[in-house]
Amino acid sequence: MTKEQKKKLNLVGSYLVILVNGVVLLYPIIWMFFATFKTNEEIFGTTALLPSSFNLKNYIEGWTGTVIPYTKYFINTAILVIPTTLFTIVSSSLVAYGFARFRFPGKKILFAILIATLMLPNSTIIIPRYMLYNKLHWLDSYLPFYVPAILACNPFFSYMLIQFMRGLPRELDESAYIDGCGTFRVFYQILLPLMKPAMFSAALFQFMWTYNDYFNSLIYINSVKKYTVSLALRLSLDAESVVVWGKVLAMAFVAVVPLIILFFSAQKYFVEGIATSGLKG
Amino acid sequence: MNGKKKIRAYRRRDYHAFIYLAPWLIGLCVLQLYPFLSSLYYSFTDYQITSSPVWAGLKNYITLFTSDKEFITSLSATIRFTLMTVPGKLILALAVAVFLNRDIKGINLIRTFYYIPSLFGGSIAIAMLWKVMFMDNGVVNALLNSIGISSVSWLGNPNVALKTICMLEIWQFGSSMVMFLAALKQVPKELYEAASIDGAGKIRKFFSITVPQITSIIFFNMIMQTINALQAYTSASVITDGGPLKATYLLGLKLYKEGFSYFKMGYACAISWVMFAIILVVTLLLFRFSNTWVYYEDSDVF
Amino acid sequence: MKTISRRDFLRGSAAGMAGVALAGLTGSSFVMAEESDSTWEKAEYTGEDATLRFSWWGGDERLEATLAVIEAFEADYPTIQIEAEYGSSDGYNDKLATQLASGTAPDIIQIDPEYMPTYVATNPDYFVSFDEYGFDFSNYDESFLRLQINGYYDGQQVGIPTGIAGPALLVNQELAEAIGLDFTGDYTWEDLIEWGKLVREYDDSMYLMCANKTYLSTFVFFNYAKQLTGQTVFDVDNGVINLTAEQAETCLEYIQRLYDEEVIAPASYMAAYDGDNLQSDPNWINSKYVCTFAHVSTMSVMMAANETATWYAGELPMLDGALDPGWTANCPQVIAVASSSSNIEASMLFLDYFFNNPESMSTLACTRSVPATEKAREICTEDGTLDSILMDAANICSAYGGLTPDRYASSEEGKTIVTDAIETVGYGASTPAEAAADMVSQLEMLI
Repeated sequence: MTKEQKKKLNLVGSYLVILVNGVVLLYPIIWMFFATFKTNEEIFGTTALLPSSFNLKNYIEGWTGTVIPYTKYFINTAILVIPTTLFTIVSSSLVAYGFARFRFPGKKILFAILIATLMLPNSTIIIPRYMLYNKLHWLDSYLPFYVPAILACNPFFSYMLIQFMRGLPRELDESAYIDGCGTFRVFYQILLPLMKPAMFSAALFQFMWTYNDYFNSLIYINSVKKYTVSLALRLSLDAESVVVWGKVLAMAFVAVVPLIILFFSAQKYFVEGIATSGLKG
Repeated sequence: MNGKKKIRAYRRRDYHAFIYLAPWLIGLCVLQLYPFLSSLYYSFTDYQITSSPVWAGLKNYITLFTSDKEFITSLSATIRFTLMTVPGKLILALAVAVFLNRDIKGINLIRTFYYIPSLFGGSIAIAMLWKVMFMDNGVVNALLNSIGISSVSWLGNPNVALKTICMLEIWQFGSSMVMFLAALKQVPKELYEAASIDGAGKIRKFFSITVPQITSIIFFNMIMQTINALQAYTSASVITDGGPLKATYLLGLKLYKEGFSYFKMGYACAISWVMFAIILVVTLLLFRFSNTWVYYEDSDVF
Repeated sequence: MKTISRRDFLRGSAAGMAGVALAGLTGSSFVMAEESDSTWEKAEYTGEDATLRFSWWGGDERLEATLAVIEAFEADYPTIQIEAEYGSSDGYNDKLATQLASGTAPDIIQIDPEYMPTYVATNPDYFVSFDEYGFDFSNYDESFLRLQINGYYDGQQVGIPTGIAGPALLVNQELAEAIGLDFTGDYTWEDLIEWGKLVREYDDSMYLMCANKTYLSTFVFFNYAKQLTGQTVFDVDNGVINLTAEQAETCLEYIQRLYDEEVIAPASYMAAYDGDNLQSDPNWINSKYVCTFAHVSTMSVMMAANETATWYAGELPMLDGALDPGWTANCPQVIAVASSSSNIEASMLFLDYFFNNPESMSTLACTRSVPATEKAREICTEDGTLDSILMDAANICSAYGGLTPDRYASSEEGKTIVTDAIETVGYGASTPAEAAADMVSQLEMLI
């Protein structure tokens, strides 16, 4: 077997592994997709994969069936999620820079506090936090999402970016300082470009988590005209009424489309991009 | 870290750190401190959400440790949940990330497909899906039967139900995978080239180059997944509601129910501070242990 | 026994019109309240402009009907705006508790009647008394209205019941007839066990009853216990528990027999269909059960899940020598006005429009279960929007007139303690005696 042939065989093998694993992994999703065309009776009563008939009724009724069409919910979601994501990335990368690249008094304690704020379960701070936001007159607005993002209140992202920043060699900073750069320029011109993969994945997470977040949206938003997609998806769910699951699943699929597109198109920034080779090791 | 050797005077530039930390420091004082301290205070009170808290001293903590039989059951379910999901998710995410970290046709699309299960998050659709998949006469059992394996009571058997929940958690491994993919981009290509010249195989390269180079991200994922797993409740709540026989009654779920369904918010706060202590200890151990295997490019000047 | 006269009455009602009945509520008269003939008169509103928030949970039909009433109201009262805050039942109670605690609750609130006692007990001032504002309850049956479960606390009406709910037995007619079972007459808990055996003989893939641990707790345990003891589980006024461990054991033993004699499907099978999810059981969809307990308010969900069968509402089982009928009607939701409301007067006006205006009654129809007022039921009967099976079921459970559950036992925690005990018995993890002892000791801590 020549080297060429071996390479080709390898490639076919790779695709085969990807395909087999992909089908196993995605089978539930495939099943769910077909379920969007089914009636409740078909979904629960049979285990067949394919629906008895394909029509877009569930999608059309799902989209227009609520009092306010989904377009409005999507616009609201964009207004909520996009700024929240941007604020998070800006504030978290600044905080990460502060921790990763400076040695200052009290650093260990502050870092410990940063991590510790992740450790208290959320459920018990919901009420005092709600009361605080109420005092600040933030209820029924998107401020309970924006302001904590501006103030880097989700340490997950700060810590994540700290870890990635610590993966970049210090010599970069040192040589820039020798060239007379200030700290902000080192951050902005030297480190940030190299942090792109990490920042894009952090942005993706924040986008996705805020987008899918039900409980906080539920608690803080009252007016229907400010409802987001995650709230809209559950509007028709009620133990006392007949739930058309095909419709619920269809809308869940529609709702996930923006995330799929986002991931697909942002990929080149975090899995293809930056060649750090030569900088390391 | 033997800090003693490295002690030097702080430079003026070092104090710039506080400028960069400012947003977080303000957020901490203005938005986070009050809810945290309130919750700590509530844990020493009788507080029913809709009434005002009444001081009760250590009562909640004493009840928790002496007369609440559920606590031990929940704690052990939580620990088992953590021990299954954290390694499961990390290994799967790393394996898939390494495997998909290649340049073949359609790789972007393939990665996207592998990420789809995670994009749905903890939505109601996923909860419903998991139930239909795993109910006694559901899809999974139908598939098993078709290849001659007898049915398993995935949701009804107390010894299996927790594993079914764990499978859902592990199935949504995508976010860890993305972080690993980003981390793999930081590994210099030269290292692999050098190793190839030395005649190293794929597996050796993985263990001697890839893993050591991304330990900081593996460690980060481990810490975050552990903290999340110890607090988890969503999947257990929507799929099995803690049953059967409390087999999936995770601490996070118990705390939520005590607080919002039973209106014992003071007690729920006590549980959450006990959880805080447990998570703190586990995290400290992980950090302590990390010195031996986690490698940073900044030669540990932290 | 009093059941005889009740049954005779029901026979008549089943043969006649569904809309006339519910006399069993009072246990007295078929006479319609005179007020119900009078037409609704629009009250003038001279107060200042108001924007009121109104929150509720519910599905699409309820949403549409409620919004239509709001729209009609706003057309009649242009100076009052109603801001609708609707959503899923998922998380509704959590949000409401948070809002009440922070004084940010909506003006008009739909509330789960089983959560209401906790709100009122922890702060008697959360809700406005309708009586103080002279709300017009003339359409309501006093004996139904003035029950704690329907919003009556310490001599004041602080919630208005939106409809009539309660326990029901939904029977698959073809299947019951094929096996020779008749649920329209009096029968006992023992009969159920015998009938269960007949069903298994008829077809061993079938069960008499579709029941999960939640339903066994709500329908079997609590009603069996009331019939056995003639008391509620707790004596709330004196702060003591009535139920003894022995009595609890008797109830749990019965439930164990339901499992052992295969009257119901195994506990592990039903685990996937807990709570109000019975309708997603494939065996339900494929007519493998002869009957199920249900709430009047969720019956239509169960019927919709299996449209191939013909359904009727059966009688409910009794204990030989019962000390109390046990079964009783309640309501699916109450609607209250928060005392933090900026404009209580306007809120009262809206609710008067919501509950007393014939047009509203017609629009709302059965979107919050069978309407609570005679007048609304008449209107819905005329409109053809009143489901006769629902009406039968409401009549049946109202006619028993058993004790209303106490607030400890019907609290979320009380129900969970009982349900957990049932689960351990169902799985054979403990004997009824052990489970009962454990359960009673845990219940005692509720006080």
